[in-house]
Amino acid sequence: MKLDTSGLQTTAPMFGPRMEALEGFAAAPSFEIPNSSDFDGFQKDAIQMVKPAKGTTTLAFIFKEGVMVAADSRASMGGYISSQSVKKIIEINPYMLGTMAGGAADCQFWHRNLGVKCRRHELANKRRISVAGASKLLANILYSYRGMGLSVGTMIAGWDETGPGLYYVDSEGGRLKGTRFSVGSGSPYAYGVLDNGYRYDLSVEEAAELARRAIYHATFRDGASGGVASVYYVGPNGWKKLSGDDVGELHYNYYPVTPTTVDQEMTEVTAA
Amino acid sequence: MTKQQANWSPYDNNGGSCVAIAGADYCVIAADTRLSTGYNILTRDYSKICKLADKAVMASSGFQADVKALQKVLSARHLTYQHQHNKQMSCPAMAQLLSNTLYFKRFFPYYAFNVLGGLDSEGKGCVFTYDAVGSYERVGYSAQGSGSTLITPFLDNQLKSPSPLLLPAQDSSTPLSEAEAIDLVKTVFASATERDIYTGDKLEIVVLNADGLRREYMDLRKD
Amino acid sequence: MSTSAIDVPPKGGFSFDLCRRNDMLAKKGLKSPSYLKTGTTIVGLIFQDGVILGADTRATEGPIVADKNCEKIHYMAPNIYCCGAGTAADTEAVTDMVSSQLQLHRYHTGRESRVVTALTLLKKHLFGYQGYVSAALVLGGVDVTGPHLHTIYPHGSTDTLPFATMGSGSLAAMSVFESKYKEGLTRDEGIRLVTEAICSGIFNDLGSGSNVDVCVITKGQKDYLRNHLLPNPRTYVSSKGYSFPKKTEVLLTKIMPLKDKVEIIEKGDAMEE
Repeated sequence: MKLDTSGLQTTAPMFGPRMEALEGFAAAPSFEIPNSSDFDGFQKDAIQMVKPAKGTTTLAFIFKEGVMVAADSRASMGGYISSQSVKKIIEINPYMLGTMAGGAADCQFWHRNLGVKCRRHELANKRRISVAGASKLLANILYSYRGMGLSVGTMIAGWDETGPGLYYVDSEGGRLKGTRFSVGSGSPYAYGVLDNGYRYDLSVEEAAELARRAIYHATFRDGASGGVASVYYVGPNGWKKLSGDDVGELHYNYYPVTPTTVDQEMTEVTAA
Repeated sequence: MTKQQANWSPYDNNGGSCVAIAGADYCVIAADTRLSTGYNILTRDYSKICKLADKAVMASSGFQADVKALQKVLSARHLTYQHQHNKQMSCPAMAQLLSNTLYFKRFFPYYAFNVLGGLDSEGKGCVFTYDAVGSYERVGYSAQGSGSTLITPFLDNQLKSPSPLLLPAQDSSTPLSEAEAIDLVKTVFASATERDIYTGDKLEIVVLNADGLRREYMDLRKD
Repeated sequence: MSTSAIDVPPKGGFSFDLCRRNDMLAKKGLKSPSYLKTGTTIVGLIFQDGVILGADTRATEGPIVADKNCEKIHYMAPNIYCCGAGTAADTEAVTDMVSSQLQLHRYHTGRESRVVTALTLLKKHLFGYQGYVSAALVLGGVDVTGPHLHTIYPHGSTDTLPFATMGSGSLAAMSVFESKYKEGLTRDEGIRLVTEAICSGIFNDLGSGSNVDVCVITKGQKDYLRNHLLPNPRTYVSSKGYSFPKKTEVLLTKIMPLKDKVEIIEKGDAMEE
């Protein structure tokens, strides 16, 4: 008798057998590859045609009370703003968040996939997956697709048995542990604010304000970032969304309009 | 693997525009019926709107062959779902199925730009908007296709709905009545047809509400 | 004796250095700005007592309609008109230039311009620029030798025909002419046939659209029928109309007088050294 061990496999085979009749129905992800000798060239053309949404500011940092995660919400295709309401902080499970930079579909899909894997880990092991483990699952998948055109720059933030955890994972295969990251086209601006105001012993309120400020200033200087600045906090009891503010409204908080000195009153101009 | 020609090009753009608007208890999905390639009109009467489930309707523009293939995959998946669960798929479930179906062709994408409209489990209107490889989000309204750059700014101006990301949360469905939404859709298509050469001939409007599904048609410019 | 080390070819003729440079830049990935192209239907035919020209009125820039009601039948001389297809700037410039040359020629000779004169001037110019001036023209007029109709291609070749079509809708329009044209049409029959040919282009070619312009030229008389037919009215106007309530907010209604930054001296001493 032959045992079916396919359920034990942690990652799906990259190029499974081609089941024409079951195209798209296979339980495990199987990706169709174009029958072209020039795969790279085709990828380049195909990506140009579908234009993945890009342009982002995301950040996350560990402090005394846990992890603070924040992001903007803009998606742009070249000069065109395709959305102002992208959910760039992805809720993987109640204790773990992922951020989204790069290809929107790549991030969304693989975080969803990671959520499934984390849940299966919980069911199999009767305990939650560690942030290190989850980020490594994602990094391994992305590494297996290296060079095929995926575009992902993500931070996995969460709380596990060891306390707060924060990892940076990207589609080039990189995986870094750290206490402070910012990813995306607006990251240089966010880092400037973040590095300036960061201390380990920030309170939750101070940390949230720092994160919000960093996102706001990034959206102010980076044309590809904007929309709503969302701030999440991950503590021992899981994540909580602390705020979501239109950066246009934030502008009036950070730069209140001051009454100017008046030298002369404007008079009504009679129509010529 | 057979050697392909250097200029292997499996895609075409057949044009067309799609719009969907979600209301408190209805959803309006609309698309023109022109199918074209280059400077030629292939047909003036091709429906871009596909009913996937009782409460989920998809409108797609882009490459007709890919759109048709996508519709067939989704219909087949929905059939197996009905056999397995003995019920119709909900609109949010169909939304995620569409996302996954698109992403499984990440390296050879469907050249299809979709909007999915329908009613959620509470009977509220919902609209999901996609890119070609499956990233999606729930919105109050959306426009896709060749006329989207003409239509979207007008919809933004008329019914700018609060972002669903705001905290405290605000309802993202549009405040219009059903009749107002249909009127708005007719206006944006009449306007887009004036300036977009790939949009025209006829407008097909599908209205979903508690009473079920209703179709309306309106003539557009034919030049 | 020549002092240069290599022989330089004699100066003269047209220089295509910039064309070669532009091709090279395009190959290296430079995006040149897009032109206004009149994806067009233009036609002309000879009827019993003259020539009728016709054109649609759509100008496009890629997939976008840039002008819904432009003029494509250009004036050349009182008895000669010319329809243009191709890059809008080129057709306009080349017809304007030749029409002024014809005017000068009329001042010089005191006679009515001939269609062949216009034809020769146009084709000489277009041939000289080897197709880089992208103008495809239908030239028609009535002169002392009778009615004439010509087509001119961007490279400078010409045809002399009883009926002609040009532009992206030329095939649609030609199918109408080929099935219905006959010699000795009356004025009304001719206008009707031209209108039908243009409509065929308007409805079946995406590059053509909007309205029909017609120009009838007969001995000693011309009739420019601008917007002869309007077959594409807007299909829907909302009964309630739309408002744009949010105006630009007025933040300040105070004005500050300019401060004097420069002292004005009565005599021009300051500038002189």
